[in-house]
Amino acid sequence: MSESNPIRDAIAEAINENKVILFMKGTPDAPACGFSARTVAALQALDAPFAAVDILPDPRIRQELSALSNWPTIPQLFVDGELVGGCDIVTEMYETGELAEALGLEQPAGAAGEPEPEAASGLLGIENRLN
Amino acid sequence: MPSTDDIKRRIEAALPEATAEVEDWTGGGDHFRAVVTSPAFEGLSRIAQHRLVYDVFGAEIGGPIHALSLTTRVPEREQA
Repeated sequence: MSESNPIRDAIAEAINENKVILFMKGTPDAPACGFSARTVAALQALDAPFAAVDILPDPRIRQELSALSNWPTIPQLFVDGELVGGCDIVTEMYETGELAEALGLEQPAGAAGEPEPEAASGLLGIENRLN
Repeated sequence: MPSTDDIKRRIEAALPEATAEVEDWTGGGDHFRAVVTSPAFEGLSRIAQHRLVYDVFGAEIGGPIHALSLTTRVPEREQA
């Protein structure tokens, strides 16, 4: 436990204060990596409210996040303070309905199968369905 | 730069009775996709399963191995 690590403290605080928080490359509207885009698409397909942190502006964010979570890659999704997984796990959980369950949401009837594999067009399609 | 064969060998050497199918996802030699089957995964959460595989590569993930997309499976058993 480091006393003088403001970035790690800020990350831990963000994880504790947000029920659903995604650390990603880029933003939900402009993901900078296909893995982040797919993860965002799965959350948006469930209309899940989530907080998002772009790790790109400061390399120390990623470094401290991975040290904290013991997980090497980005994105990382946390629910109720616990690491749920990265793109592979979140996508798999979306497909099985476990993601909706973990988030306390209903799996939409039409949401079977994969979230849009083409990240950009998938995001546009999903954005259009939001109010 | 690691090859798909290197990655396969290292996973299979590190995890008990593991079989791994590894492909180079983009053809660029740094984005890999692996399906790993091992009885070591039994009873573990997905997070814990994936960590077992990531731990084989340590800091190489995010370095020379930009991405290693994983599917982990427990070998199927005959139903009693």
